[in-house]
Amino acid sequence: MIKFEHVNKTFGDHPALIDINTGFKEHQTTVIVGPSGSGKSTLLRSLNLLERPESGQYHFNDLAIDFAKPLNNKTILTLRRKTGMVFQGYNLFPHLTVVKNVMEGPVQVLKQSNADAKKTALDLLAKVGLADKADAYPSQLSGGQQQRVAIARSLAMNPEFILLDEPTSALDPELEAGVLRVLLELAEEKDSMIIVTHNLEFARAVADKILFVENGKILFDGTPAEFFKQPTQRIADFLAAMTFTAISDKANQ
Amino acid sequence: MAAIWHIIVTATPQIVAAGLKYTIPIAIISFIIGLILAVLTALTKLSPRHGWFSIVKAIAYFYVWLFRSTPLLVQLFIVYFGLPYLKVKGIWPNGIQLDPWTAGIATFSLNTGAYCAETIRASILSIPEGQWEAAYSIGMTKPQVLRRIILPQAARVSLPPLSNSFISLVKDTSLAASITIIEMFEVSQQIAAENYQPLVMYSLVAALYAVLCSILSWLQGYLEKRTSRYISPIN
Repeated sequence: MIKFEHVNKTFGDHPALIDINTGFKEHQTTVIVGPSGSGKSTLLRSLNLLERPESGQYHFNDLAIDFAKPLNNKTILTLRRKTGMVFQGYNLFPHLTVVKNVMEGPVQVLKQSNADAKKTALDLLAKVGLADKADAYPSQLSGGQQQRVAIARSLAMNPEFILLDEPTSALDPELEAGVLRVLLELAEEKDSMIIVTHNLEFARAVADKILFVENGKILFDGTPAEFFKQPTQRIADFLAAMTFTAISDKANQ
Repeated sequence: MAAIWHIIVTATPQIVAAGLKYTIPIAIISFIIGLILAVLTALTKLSPRHGWFSIVKAIAYFYVWLFRSTPLLVQLFIVYFGLPYLKVKGIWPNGIQLDPWTAGIATFSLNTGAYCAETIRASILSIPEGQWEAAYSIGMTKPQVLRRIILPQAARVSLPPLSNSFISLVKDTSLAASITIIEMFEVSQQIAAENYQPLVMYSLVAALYAVLCSILSWLQGYLEKRTSRYISPIN
């Protein structure tokens, strides 16, 4: 169980997160939506401390962090070991082959043997449909394939939560589908995922919980049923702006 | 013409021998030490300043500034001819007396290290932030990220400018002639003093430097191709 209490973060004068209170349960998929620049990525990146909020409490299972106090390095490393992250731009290590990308964390951080790590890595690559690309370099793969390797890389650490920051925003639709299929499968296996996305259709399909973030605040925290069926005026506007039907309706008026 | 040919044939082996004995070893040893200095200096300059580390950072900045702002020949003279007069009671009562070989390697290492530090600093900065974030997100420590992820990629980026520095260093070792090291240029000066053929002798040694540096350029191309394999897909 992850919990944020009264978490605040600013970038210079700009408040990025304002009094964030929310929780994330295991074996659930939480989808964070909201307009660009709303703070949803900052919220996600605060969970593995790539961003450091200035105040608030953070509970990660039995680990408790007070953001107002200096963090020790060990806490940061422990927390990152327990969370995996998938980035919008994949961020694979270009100088390592696909299988070595997936093995890097287990071997260097978890101190697994090369043989063990390789076995797990090949299994994970098979799971994301890329068993035949194990010895390729990232530059030889499509964006969608690279993102699936990135998912395998985060899974290899056997994380308690997987954080995904707009995992399909950089992809063409047909490549996006391949990545979403993998994520859907993970959701069905009850992995704990927190996903920032603009893809509402996908949110509807996988989310156990939806957060709507705007101007650094959480404006909605509840189930997809509530989010889509009884939206507040602001959410209804957001949903309308995000869908084609809204545009074509206007065109027909 | 036959006389010139005779000079070339007899002088070349002597100059090449001096190259193998002094020029090449001095250049290689100095460059290795210089690279180690450069990586340490670059990392120091890139680290955040806090507490006592501010002093280390200040030293790194001063070192790069000093060696880039003064001529190499003057640096050689200070180390070889000047330091024997640096007499400090209890520590160096007789000044710091270095043999030419040590003085040369020390100066060349420090000088090339200052230039390479900037090259390496820039190449580390050229690696996208996302690489750090991805490595941190799998739980790596900063030294692990540097060693496993950043430096291997930075090495590829810095290969052409570092090759430049090495080729410059090879030619700059000719300045060691001024501190009595009998390297390629010194040998050709000595022969020219005997046979009164300075044009032939200095052209010959220039040609031999050119051959040496051409080999290094070729080596650079080879290394670039090898280290860039992961960039361009080979299908």
